[in-house]
Amino acid sequence: MGKDLIQKYLKDSLFTGIVALALFGPIVGLRTVAKNEALVVQPKWFVVFLIVVACAAGRFLINIYQFRKEQRRGEQSSFGKAVSHFLDEKGAQIAIGAIVFSVIFPFMPFADRYWMDIAIMMMTYIMLGWGLNIVIGLAGLLDLGYVAFYAVGAYSYALFAIHFGWSFWICLPIAGVFAAMFGVLLGFPVLRLRGDYLAIVTLAFGEMVRILLLNWYELTKGPDGLTGIPRPSFFGLPFKRYPDEGVETFHTFFGLEYSSMQRIIFLYYLILVLALITNFFTIKIRRLPVGRAWEALREDEIACKSLGVNPRNTKLTAFAIGAMFAGFAGSFFATRQAFISPESFTFIESAIIVAIVVLGGMGSQTGVVLSTVFLIGLIEVFRDFESYRMVAFGGAMVLIMVFRPRGILAKRKPTITMGKHG
Amino acid sequence: MEYFLQQLINGLTLGSVYGLIAIGYTMVYGIIGMINFAHGDIFMVGAFVALIAFILFALTSISLPIVLILVLLIAMVFTACYGWTVEKLAYKPLRKSFRLAPLISALGMSIVLQNYVQAAQGARIKTLQPVIQGGFNFFKDSNFVVTLSYLQIFIILVTITLMTIFTLLITRTALGRAQRACEQDRTMTALMGINVDRTISMTFIIGSSLAAVAGMMFVMYYGVIDFYIGFLAGIKAFTAAVLGGIGSIPGAMLGGLLIGLIETFWSGYISIEYKDIAAFTTLVVVLIFFPTGFLGKPDIEKV
Amino acid sequence: MSSALLDVENLTMRFGGLIAIDDLTFSAKKDHITSIIGPNGAGKTTVFNCLTGFYKASEGSMYLNKDNKKLNLGKFSDFKVAQKAGVARTFQNIRLFPQMSVLENMMVAQHNKLMKASGFTILGLVNSPSFLKKEKEAIEISKYWLNIIGLTNRADDNAGDLPYGDQRKLEIVRAMCIEPNLLCLDEPAAGLNAKESAELNKLLKFIKNDKKTGILLIEHDMSVVMGISDHVVVLNYGKKIFQGTAKETKNSPEVIEAYLGTDE
Repeated sequence: MGKDLIQKYLKDSLFTGIVALALFGPIVGLRTVAKNEALVVQPKWFVVFLIVVACAAGRFLINIYQFRKEQRRGEQSSFGKAVSHFLDEKGAQIAIGAIVFSVIFPFMPFADRYWMDIAIMMMTYIMLGWGLNIVIGLAGLLDLGYVAFYAVGAYSYALFAIHFGWSFWICLPIAGVFAAMFGVLLGFPVLRLRGDYLAIVTLAFGEMVRILLLNWYELTKGPDGLTGIPRPSFFGLPFKRYPDEGVETFHTFFGLEYSSMQRIIFLYYLILVLALITNFFTIKIRRLPVGRAWEALREDEIACKSLGVNPRNTKLTAFAIGAMFAGFAGSFFATRQAFISPESFTFIESAIIVAIVVLGGMGSQTGVVLSTVFLIGLIEVFRDFESYRMVAFGGAMVLIMVFRPRGILAKRKPTITMGKHG
Repeated sequence: MEYFLQQLINGLTLGSVYGLIAIGYTMVYGIIGMINFAHGDIFMVGAFVALIAFILFALTSISLPIVLILVLLIAMVFTACYGWTVEKLAYKPLRKSFRLAPLISALGMSIVLQNYVQAAQGARIKTLQPVIQGGFNFFKDSNFVVTLSYLQIFIILVTITLMTIFTLLITRTALGRAQRACEQDRTMTALMGINVDRTISMTFIIGSSLAAVAGMMFVMYYGVIDFYIGFLAGIKAFTAAVLGGIGSIPGAMLGGLLIGLIETFWSGYISIEYKDIAAFTTLVVVLIFFPTGFLGKPDIEKV
Repeated sequence: MSSALLDVENLTMRFGGLIAIDDLTFSAKKDHITSIIGPNGAGKTTVFNCLTGFYKASEGSMYLNKDNKKLNLGKFSDFKVAQKAGVARTFQNIRLFPQMSVLENMMVAQHNKLMKASGFTILGLVNSPSFLKKEKEAIEISKYWLNIIGLTNRADDNAGDLPYGDQRKLEIVRAMCIEPNLLCLDEPAAGLNAKESAELNKLLKFIKNDKKTGILLIEHDMSVVMGISDHVVVLNYGKKIFQGTAKETKNSPEVIEAYLGTDE
């Protein structure tokens, strides 16, 4: 590596440093703090200095790394290739292993309340990811307002349960149907829009739903939210420590000591079953004509039209089915929390679910699981770091897109093969 | 009547701010065909930079007009750096990738910017003491006094000046020509010897500078900002860009004024809580009936 | 009642001030291969786009005569032209589904009848035997066509991985899967070498004779046009300047001047 090249890289680092100074100087270096009703500026030059140096040094190292990579042209990101090859080959086995693991998870020694809560949260996101996978991954429709259907499911479940007292098993399908109807309503006017526009419109829809929930006090109690959502029961047996007169509870029926974990474990299996239903449904429907049409529409809509495929109805079906699963997930969320408010249904939720689907590899079911574990894991592990963890989250989105735009598991297998029938 | 006039004045002022942001959206869409989701947050960064600059200058005894010019320039320069960096890091590597990739990347950048500012500056809202006070009062003897503040005049004048400079830039200079060429056919433009990367960077720089000005106006006008203003303003400004026809710069400003008026009149006459829904509904309605906006160029895919 | 399969009358297409097609009248017979030729920009692909519902014609009419019924093609929107009128087409820049396999491409073409068989998905979800039977039939149809073009052993490969010539052939047989009355091919021989063009001719003749499907062809490759056309329509600047048999066309002075040129 010649002296000229080193000089070039040094100049590059200097430039990077200057840009970093411009970027981080004002915002990081001059923190505004409230003092006696007014704002004053608190300089933080040392932090800025560290960041600038880190950027300059980082740039230098990246340049060297790329230079070295150029020299060793033959090996192209061998690590990445090995990982994706492994995942492709062992895909089915990994999936089965994951399912077995998730079934026995609650009985593992470390599965205490904290871990069970995390597992339930992850499973909920996985289900939402699988649901949105139908819309974005299979049909290629960029929906940035998926949280709206989640909210419709949660609120309709809560309202039916609170006002009519129907059981979970009745309210769940109703909430799903509601959400699906909502999906058709929303989708009908806008699904013919082109990618970017559809994205912004669905984002707007998501926000409109949230604003409505926030302000329609008579129906949704606005920011106060809905409380007193009935807790789930084990097919009629409530999970109560102190049962009402003459009512059997779960623990008395099975002759066990009462433990608050019983309800949690039930909830876990509930979301696990719901998620698996979503998954198997998706795998099945990909093999059917409508699923194939989704993927074909994603590839080339004009070619589809020339073959007589009705794009609007096909897209609406994807949208409605995706909405339905979000509705089911919303019902689960409502009964698990026993309390819902518009705060849980913000745009960032939609963004997280979109990130899960795209980073996992569009259309890949296993990919959704992997990216959920990674992204939600990231958010959880860094929970104490508040805003910084979201910076890391956004950064992860950018980095994965830049280095692996097709997602973790990008390879697609055909849903029907001649080999089997030939 | 007086109330109507006041809403009109307020609406046009707000609309100017939205219009400045909308131009950034429309320019980027015109040249690389993507919606820059992070643009609204660039506007937010501009507001913060302006806020910090105002606070610092308040400690000096520099006269107001000079402070205004300095803050304007400072906001533009530093925010332009953000726009430039975002493009280089998150969009340029994905220029040849499939449609969704830069969109997701932009989404990620938006999340990064919002939380980065929140982490660096704290989550609380920030306030700014009024910088320009006073104005003209009309209809002093009626029930409702109409005020046209000096600040409002300032905002509208700055907007008009920038629009003029900017339109001259686009139509008369080589940069403008290069931009229009890139919009039409990037490969061919490159083959003609034009530095496409630099043209695209300049587009982001100009768009971000205008957003910075909008940010400065915003913080002066409302006196309150937080890290979240970019999200809402972004959607509304994008609506404005679409209304005016994505790809059309005068359309973007027109759309901005329209959205500002819609929002202000809705708040003034119907309800304040649902004013954001007014903007969103406009977006949906416009896209349903005018997929390419009022003044936009139709997007015919060659079959 | 006309004996022709397709009757185009006074078709005019305007884009703002530009007249792309100017008062075009021609017919295509059911047992014919009709070629539309002419210089670039003459309006040939525009005619196809009008026929297949991608453009709305400014003036004029297009009728498809099917089972003693006269269908007004102008009334059908894009996908309905294929679905209801049975007009299939291929594209100048091949439009396959590149990330889907060859077989999957063929199955998408049989979407509508499979959708009905799957009871709009409900029957399909429960593996109903009637659906499975229809699916098997669809696979057999796909196999049949893939055999004809020699791609059976590549049925599970991604369509985008095929060599160019095979992609062209695949696009044609995929269009045949919708069992069309009229097949519109937009420059099917573009980029093919002499051997591949000869194979294309064979395929098209087979489709005309065995499948009794009328073919409308846009082409620049004269070996294909002259080799298989029963009827030729020549366009220049949106206007029809000649129509006749292949031999007549080759010898027509107007056509030679506008397009063919002479052997120097």
